[in-house]
Amino acid sequence: MRYRIGLVALLAVVAWGLPYGLNLYAMHVADVALVFAVLAIGLGLAMGVAGQVNLAQVAFFGVGSYAVAILTTHYGYGFWPAALLSLVATVVIGLLVGTPALRVQSHYLGIVTLGLAVAFTNWVTNAALAGGASGISGIPVPPLGGVDLSSDYLYWYVEVVVFAAALAFGLFVVRTPLGRRMRAMRDDSLAAGAVGAEVPMLRMAAFGLASVYGGLAGVLYAGLIRYVSPDTFSMTNMFLLLAMVIIGGRQSLVGCVVGALALSLLREALSDASTYAQLGYGVVVVLAVVFAPTGLAGLPARLRSGWRKRRGEGASAAVLGPFRPFPAAPQASAPVGPGPLLEVQQISKRFRGLWALREVSLSVGAGEIRGIVGPNGSGKTTLFNVISGLYRPSGGTVRLGGAPVGGRRPYQLSHAGLARTFQNLRLFNNLTVRENVLVAADRSRTRGIWRYAVWQVGVVRRDRALRARADAMLDQFGLSAFADALPRSLPYGIQRRVEIARAMVSGPRLLLLDEPAAGLNGEEVRQLGEIVRSIRDSGVTVVIIEHNMGLVMSLCERITVLASGEVIAEGGPAEVAATPRVIEAYLGDSAMSKDVPPVIATEVAQ
Amino acid sequence: MQVFFQTLIGGLSLGAVYALVAMGFSLVYRTMGLVNFAHGDVVMIGAYVASTFYMSAKLPFALAIVAAIVVTGLIGVIIERVLRPLENKDFDLMLIGTIGFGIVLEAVATLIWGATGRAVPSPVPAAPLDIFGIRVRTYNLVVLAIAALAMVALVLFLQRTKRGAAMQAVAMDYEAATAVGIHVGRSNALSFSIGAGLAALGGGLVGPLLYVNASMGGSLGIKGFAAAILGGFGSIPGAILGGLAIGVLDSFSAGHFQGYSDLVTFLVFTVIIMVRPTGVFGERTVNRA
Amino acid sequence: MTQTSPAPTTTGSGLTLSVRGLTVHYGGVCAVRSVDFTVGAGQAVGIVGANGAGKSSTLKALMGLVPRAVDALRLGDIDLTRVRARDMVRHGVGYVPEGRKVFAGLSVEKNLMLGAYARGWRRHSQQSLAEVYELFPVLGEMRARLAGALSGGQQQMLAIGRALMSRPRLLLLDEPSMGLSPKLVEDILAVLQRLSGEGMSLLLVEQNAKLTFEATTDCLVMENGQVAMTGSAHELRHDPRVRRIYLGL
Repeated sequence: MRYRIGLVALLAVVAWGLPYGLNLYAMHVADVALVFAVLAIGLGLAMGVAGQVNLAQVAFFGVGSYAVAILTTHYGYGFWPAALLSLVATVVIGLLVGTPALRVQSHYLGIVTLGLAVAFTNWVTNAALAGGASGISGIPVPPLGGVDLSSDYLYWYVEVVVFAAALAFGLFVVRTPLGRRMRAMRDDSLAAGAVGAEVPMLRMAAFGLASVYGGLAGVLYAGLIRYVSPDTFSMTNMFLLLAMVIIGGRQSLVGCVVGALALSLLREALSDASTYAQLGYGVVVVLAVVFAPTGLAGLPARLRSGWRKRRGEGASAAVLGPFRPFPAAPQASAPVGPGPLLEVQQISKRFRGLWALREVSLSVGAGEIRGIVGPNGSGKTTLFNVISGLYRPSGGTVRLGGAPVGGRRPYQLSHAGLARTFQNLRLFNNLTVRENVLVAADRSRTRGIWRYAVWQVGVVRRDRALRARADAMLDQFGLSAFADALPRSLPYGIQRRVEIARAMVSGPRLLLLDEPAAGLNGEEVRQLGEIVRSIRDSGVTVVIIEHNMGLVMSLCERITVLASGEVIAEGGPAEVAATPRVIEAYLGDSAMSKDVPPVIATEVAQ
Repeated sequence: MQVFFQTLIGGLSLGAVYALVAMGFSLVYRTMGLVNFAHGDVVMIGAYVASTFYMSAKLPFALAIVAAIVVTGLIGVIIERVLRPLENKDFDLMLIGTIGFGIVLEAVATLIWGATGRAVPSPVPAAPLDIFGIRVRTYNLVVLAIAALAMVALVLFLQRTKRGAAMQAVAMDYEAATAVGIHVGRSNALSFSIGAGLAALGGGLVGPLLYVNASMGGSLGIKGFAAAILGGFGSIPGAILGGLAIGVLDSFSAGHFQGYSDLVTFLVFTVIIMVRPTGVFGERTVNRA
Repeated sequence: MTQTSPAPTTTGSGLTLSVRGLTVHYGGVCAVRSVDFTVGAGQAVGIVGANGAGKSSTLKALMGLVPRAVDALRLGDIDLTRVRARDMVRHGVGYVPEGRKVFAGLSVEKNLMLGAYARGWRRHSQQSLAEVYELFPVLGEMRARLAGALSGGQQQMLAIGRALMSRPRLLLLDEPSMGLSPKLVEDILAVLQRLSGEGMSLLLVEQNAKLTFEATTDCLVMENGQVAMTGSAHELRHDPRVRRIYLGL
């Protein structure tokens, strides 16, 4: 911490002293580089943090600049009012450009945003209002008390202040609930939705943020150069900006800044050989994506882990703590209303003409542990996906606590008290274990992000409360020693446990576990049984899909058996195990059922 | 009426070029699930190589295009080979990697051919043909004919040959394809180079229609890509229809909105994608041949 | 095509497969732990066990489709330890993947012809096509349809037919009964029995124990990635321990 404060202080001194050591040309270059740094932070937030392929960032930059130019030269606004209006205009455009993200992602989004950026340059090169190909000159010098901002030296200080504030705010976003949710969405948007993140709102927020930074950079640029023309906002510069972010490290805002400054300066240094420079950064981008996808910012961590490997140090010596049972809920507090907690009625689901589920009905009472078993391909996970809102059923209804929840989005169900785990572990791989749990601990709605703009203290306070809650949950699951580790670096059994902790921290009424014992060893399975029982005793209803029949038989009061998308049996473990249809589904032969030893049946019933 | 038909024919021949570009996109996407953002720049390289062989080496136009196809095919193989470690892993990184290749190709083109660009003379007599009272540029018809031939050849290749079937099989299930003995990497490299070859054909043909310069790849690539999406990504007939649609849209919006044609084209495209992300002609369960 | 008499054998004569110390790790999980077994020439061997026991991983690892460690892997006289997945078929190993995995967008006939990819497309496929259509008449009726439009049972036949097109000396089948009705499972059984009768070596991985016990002579029962029991299909069929492993009792 002290080291960091020292570094920031040092950088501040350098920024303050820099103008004293530079000639006018170099100062100008530094000013432009800092504008690109602000722009790159915006792109980093959208692409690196939120995973939205935004190839219109240069257009946001252009909207900001052009709006200032047009408002000041055509409509006679002062610089600062024009700057404010430009920011608003950029954000409006940014949100409009971002709307396709609600429908398409990845390369589709890339091409749409790139197309809209081309449309923007097409407009400014042709519109009389924007001065056509020759652009707009004569933007007034921003007035600031008695300070003459036409000096590139003095303008530097304005830029440094804006840049520092912009970077600080960006880092603040990344490290608090909003940024965590965005990163979670980037790693796995499905799981993010399932733990309560409103994915559509977050995508818009990402574009909103990117456009704020674009607008800010545009205003700074207009005030600095006082002339705008279409060239500055061309695709060539978009790709240059992209290279800055990729080479610097898209997931780290500081990396984006470093990349932006480095490439801006390099471009100037090589301005006599600009094509070679372009060739060079193109090659570096290609090499970076193949060999160093985390960019410059990721190098220290890679070197460190490589060093450790060479020295033969294994993974951390951290040990898994014991699970501490949840406090049991008082018996009386259980009822949430009359009737079962989860009621699935006549649910059907078709995929391309094949019935994955056919009129499946089951009801699970509050406080029950229900097992769902069946051969491969019998529709168990499809059923979970329907209940948790990932699939829309072709027919039938689902009720949670008596209220119909059909057609609700996964995040809405999460807020209604449903949590789940996934068959193939869906942890957020670039978030630490603690952050994984923190994302799910956050029960707020995304519309509360206005606090970021006006009341940051409130955000910090809430974040602190979330951290306390998450740490308590990690401690409960014996995971405290791994809080700062990345999930992938952990043994499989621990990852499974992290996923359950993540599901439980949201305080669900109903927990769906999809094959929680897959890949666990005998001792881990025993601990899992203990955990699930304790979760139930704390008042949470559990539905569990599992292939480990020993676990299911010992854990569940009632078991529902699916085969070919239909319920073929339901009842207590012994009852189900003796049902000829079940044995036929599993062994292919009902005749083999006749000699089930009765002793075992009574053992299980206990 | 006269103007309408001339615009239509002009749009269709430009659209045929977009269709060739879109087919390249679709082929690579279908076999590798990869969107090659460098594709437009491969088209540009194709245009330059073809025009160089045609104008400087005085090769016949057709031979010049063949030479361009060979060169870009090699470029395609290189791109695929370099990015192969990312296949089936990180989609977004791969996409950015192809953008990186685009930057490189543009720089290479500027280094070799300079930044100013060149006009390519038409290989057929410039005098327009008169068909039923409508005057049509002869070269437009040549472009349409060659593009049509290329499309037929591609479809035949995919439907009739062992390699063509194998390429599609890899796209549908690479594990099962491996089990029947298909070398998945080699098959992907082939599809990448065929895609690049189509790009070169498009580039070579577009030379006499447009002005050839290092930054032409951007707009051609984006429009070709838009055509592929419009037609339903991965579908070859969709790519053809999408290409023709974008060409005609482009040509008419150039007629009506003059300089704003790109703006109009991309706004219309964005709206279509918002309404139908799977494309106009595409369907989720697309019959992929 | 006009052949009506029993076709000449679809198969070459089977070869012996021997496996020693096969181990598979996924991430940190050990899915298969040091498994040994042998499939004699012309013999049919089954691997049964509950879901997640490691049966499917065993088969994929044999094919080289997942990273594996193995002490010895031989088919006949050939050492397969270093052979890549795509070359297995050239050494006589046919593979019917779990979940059929037919090439959904291609026609039935194209799917089958791709099965003969490694042997040369047109030259050798006509004879084999006729044999497969003889074995599965329904595929012949639907040869022009897209594979994705077939029913589950027909797709399974197609997957088996595709594997047979390479004239394998050993056929690996992964859960051919999955999601099929009892009637169709009977059909699959008949096909397997016929192939076995023609001298093909078979390795069948199945959850459906009844099918396996009827289609094979010897079986392994897997549990938690290890071989829990081995024995003749007849013995295992009446062994109550098998049921316990399946039903967790």
